[in-house]
Amino acid sequence: MSGDAVTEAVDRAFREEWGRVVATLIRRTGDWDLAEECVAEAFAEALRSWPRAGVPQRPGAWLTTVAGNRAVDRLRRRARGERLLAQSAAELLTHAQAVEERVDELVAPEGEIADDRLRLIFTCCHVALPLEARVALTLRMLCGLSTAQIARAFLVSEATMAKRLTRAKHKIAAAGIPYRVPDAHLLPARTGGVLAVLYLMFNEGYAASAGDELIRTALCDEAIRLARLLHLLMPDEPEVMGLLALLLLQHSRRDARLDAGGELITLGRQDRSRWHAQEVSEGLELLEAALALRAPGNYQLQAAIAACHARAASARLTDWPQIAALYELLQEFNGSPVVTLNRAVALSMSGDPQAAASLLARLHAEGTLESYHLLHATDAELLRSSGRLEDARAALTRAIELAPTPAERRLLVRRNADLGGAPQAPGGGCGSP
Amino acid sequence: MNYLLFICSSEPTPAEEIAVMQREVEGWVTEMDGRGVRLLGAPLQGPGAAVTVRVRDGETLLSDGPFAETKEHIAGFDVIDCADLDEAIEVASKHPVAWFKSIEIRPFAPGLELGPQAPAFARDEWAEGQAHCLMMCVDGIPGPPAQEAQIMRDGLAWAADLRERGLQVLGHPLEHRETATTVRVRNGETLVTDGPFAETAEFIAGLDVISGASLQEAISAAAAHPLARVHRVEVRPFWKM
Repeated sequence: MSGDAVTEAVDRAFREEWGRVVATLIRRTGDWDLAEECVAEAFAEALRSWPRAGVPQRPGAWLTTVAGNRAVDRLRRRARGERLLAQSAAELLTHAQAVEERVDELVAPEGEIADDRLRLIFTCCHVALPLEARVALTLRMLCGLSTAQIARAFLVSEATMAKRLTRAKHKIAAAGIPYRVPDAHLLPARTGGVLAVLYLMFNEGYAASAGDELIRTALCDEAIRLARLLHLLMPDEPEVMGLLALLLLQHSRRDARLDAGGELITLGRQDRSRWHAQEVSEGLELLEAALALRAPGNYQLQAAIAACHARAASARLTDWPQIAALYELLQEFNGSPVVTLNRAVALSMSGDPQAAASLLARLHAEGTLESYHLLHATDAELLRSSGRLEDARAALTRAIELAPTPAERRLLVRRNADLGGAPQAPGGGCGSP
Repeated sequence: MNYLLFICSSEPTPAEEIAVMQREVEGWVTEMDGRGVRLLGAPLQGPGAAVTVRVRDGETLLSDGPFAETKEHIAGFDVIDCADLDEAIEVASKHPVAWFKSIEIRPFAPGLELGPQAPAFARDEWAEGQAHCLMMCVDGIPGPPAQEAQIMRDGLAWAADLRERGLQVLGHPLEHRETATTVRVRNGETLVTDGPFAETAEFIAGLDVISGASLQEAISAAAAHPLARVHRVEVRPFWKM
C-alpha cells in the first residue's frame, strides 16, 4: 500500500474516530490525560503498522483496541512504580486492587454500543468550567484539534491555551465533574452551553479561521452529527432544532462556495443549483417546527436568516428587508458586534445605505471589530457604491491585511482588482498554487 | 466526594432576606442530614470577631479582622459528601443563602477524615466560646520545595497533636481555588460560575476546626501551625445557635 494512501487513511481515521476513541477511553479509564495520550499513541502505531498490515476494516475498533492496550500497559507500569514507593503492605494491596479493577474494566468486552461522545461533550461543556475552556476542551477532546490550532482560533498564545486545557482537565478530576449526560431535570439548562460549543465547532470547520484547509467537512459533519444526537435526545427543544436547521442550511452550500480553482465564491455569486436540496428542505422543515413552538432564540433566528437565502431562487430575489429585520431581532438574543455588522450589510443590500453607514460608524466607535477583516470589507462595499473608489480601495487594503486565511485574502484581492487596485496583496502569498 | 460549602454573605442584608434565610435553613439542614449528605457545619461569628495570626522571626503577630477585606465574607460552612459536583451544585442551590448571596463549593483533597470532636460538633454539643475555625490563608505562590515539604511534615504533626489532645473536629487541605465553583440562585434559576466567590490575592487552602479550646488556646494553636510562619491563619469563633 502506498505511503500516501496510508497517510490519507490515518488522516481520515483521525477526523472520524479521534473523538469517539478518546470518549470511550475516558469512560473506561476515568483519566483524561491517560486517554488522550493512549489514543495519540494508537494513531502513531497506525502510521507504523498500516503500511505493512494494511488499513483495518474498522479503523475505529482497531484504534480503540490499541489505545485500550496502551492504557492497560501504562496502568500496570504506574502500579509497579507505586508498589516500589508504597510504604506498607496495606497500601500496596490497595494500589494493586485499584489497578486491577481498572484493568478489568478496560479489558471487559464492550456491552451496549453507546455513543460516548455525547457524554464527553456534556462533560466538556459543563457549567462549572469557564466558557472558553469548554469550547477549547471540546475541540481538543472531540475533534482532535491541536492546542496550537485552538490557540490560533481563539487568538491566544499556545502556552495560554495549554494552561487553559490543563486547568479544565484538572478541575474535572479534582472537583468531581461527572462524566455523563445530565439527568432529565438538568438537561435543558445544560443544553445552551453545548449548543454554543457545537456552533463554534461547525464554524471552525466552515470558515477555517486559519490555514489553507478551507472546508473541514469532517468538523462540520461532526457538529451536525452531534446536533442530530442532541435533537434525538431533546426532541422538543426549539433551540436544538434551530441550531441543527442552521447548520444544515449553511452546510448545504458547501459545494457552491468554491470554484474549480478552489477559490471562495460569495453567497451572491454562488450557483444555487449546487446547493444540496435535501439538506435545505430538512433545514427548512426543522426551522418551521422549531418556530411553531413559539420560543424564539439565537439559533432559530440565525436559521431564519439562512432560510431567507435558501428560499431565494436567485441572489437578486433575496428578501433583504426581512433579513435586516431578523438581525435586529437577533440583537436581543446575541449581543455580538458581528450581528450588528451583518445587520449593516443587510440594510445596505435592502437599499438603506445611510442606516448601514451609521451602524458601521457605531462599530468603529466601539472599536471591538477593528481587527476583523469583514468590517473593513463592508466599509469598502459601502464606499464603492457611493462612488468613493479611493477610500474603498484603502478599506479593502486594510481588510486584505487582516484576512485570516489565504483564500479569504485572495477573494478580497480579486475584489480590489475589480476596483482598479493593486492586483497583488502585500505579502499575500498569492503565488502559491 | 467531600466538598466544603463556603456560605458567603454580605452587608447590609435586608431584614426580610434574613428572615427567609433563618426560616428556611432548618429545612435544608434536615433534608441534607436525612440524605446523609451533610456531615457537619455551623455559622461563624462575623468578620469583626476574626483574629488573623502570623508568626515572623519567632514573634506572634495578631491583627483584628479577616484575612481579606471583600464585599462578601465567609459566614459559615458545611462539609458535605456527594456523588459528584452536580449533586454538590444541587445541594448548594437548595441552601437559602444561595437565593440571596453565594455559596462556593470547594473539593477537599482526597482522604478526608473527621477528628474525635466531630460527632459532638455535628450534634451541636459544644460549649459557647469553645469552638473555633482556623482558616489557612495562602497566596498560592509555591515556596522553595524544601520549605513546602517542611510545612507539609510540620502540618501533619500539628494536626496529629490536636487529634491526640482530643480537640480536632476537622483538619484537611482543600483543593486549589482553581477547582472552586460558585452557586447563586436568582429568580428560581441556578447560576453556576467557575471560580471562588471573590477574587482575592490570598485564598483559603485548608480549614481546621477545633472544639474544647478557648479563643486564646485557638490563637496559640494557629500560631503553632507551620503556615503561620510564611502565610496567615484566620481564627474565627462559631456562633452557638
